[in-house]
Amino acid sequence: MGGQACVFYGAAQVSKDIDFLILAEKENFDRLLASLDFLQARRIAIPPFDPEALAKGHAVHFRCQAPVVEGLRIDIMTKLRDLDDFETLWQRRTVFSDPSGTEFHLLAVPDLVSAKKTQRSKDWPVIEALVGIHFEENQSNPMPAWISFWLTEARSPELLLDLAARFPSEAAAMVSARPLLSLAITPDLPRLREALDAEVRAEQEKDRIYWEPLKREMEEFRRAERALL
Amino acid sequence: MKFEDWPEEWQEWAKLTPLERFRESEKIFAQYLAMGGSLDPDPDPTSPFYDPSEWHAGTAHGRAGLRVLRRGAS
Repeated sequence: MGGQACVFYGAAQVSKDIDFLILAEKENFDRLLASLDFLQARRIAIPPFDPEALAKGHAVHFRCQAPVVEGLRIDIMTKLRDLDDFETLWQRRTVFSDPSGTEFHLLAVPDLVSAKKTQRSKDWPVIEALVGIHFEENQSNPMPAWISFWLTEARSPELLLDLAARFPSEAAAMVSARPLLSLAITPDLPRLREALDAEVRAEQEKDRIYWEPLKREMEEFRRAERALL
Repeated sequence: MKFEDWPEEWQEWAKLTPLERFRESEKIFAQYLAMGGSLDPDPDPTSPFYDPSEWHAGTAHGRAGLRVLRRGAS
């Protein structure tokens, strides 16, 4: 879902596990469990596999034992913070195909950027790279939706100055949605850097608040499992 | 940093097609595994999934086959 999509989009990331975001339907769960069984995947951490836990935002972690994929970790989720539901994300996906006809279905870049807005420090440089490469690849044909995406998500102060100079009316129109754009318009580089840092801290705090009850629940799951041993 | 200011290697990577990036990444990952690289996630205390009790600092990368021969000053 995340790491390999980043590789396709150019923000190279070492991804040692596979995260799956799946449609939460019984038939789909049955197919998933059959696939996990085929891969001899064993659950390795809390919480247990439970559609209710998944619906709350928990991830369930597995490790494969089958020969070709031995040791591979798989994480299953049905919900991501602040992202649309699976069907909507699927509608917006990007599809690449190789010469043999194999298709690769990826989260759209804006959705991937949203998914990367976490409390983890390592995700933020990835967002900067994703937006920077997307701009580099599409600046010669700047569609309105892309201009809006770049102005909303660019994390590099230099790129923001460039965007504000190239698209002044769009930047001015978006100041109420992203106040730090006014510092790119002025321009005021030192204050823009500070505002970008503050934006990251605020988003990380949102993510921490989102995970707080889930982490408490994970601790309860952990205690319950220890009690069973 | 703007694209023009990126290190040359980054620019070269970005100039590949998406499928070329995927194939190159597969090669790098195969090499990583061939060298004994672990499939365990790196410890990340900033992740909500981080559980210190699951991480064993005694091994180089969480895998028994690797030993730290020398640590740089830190």
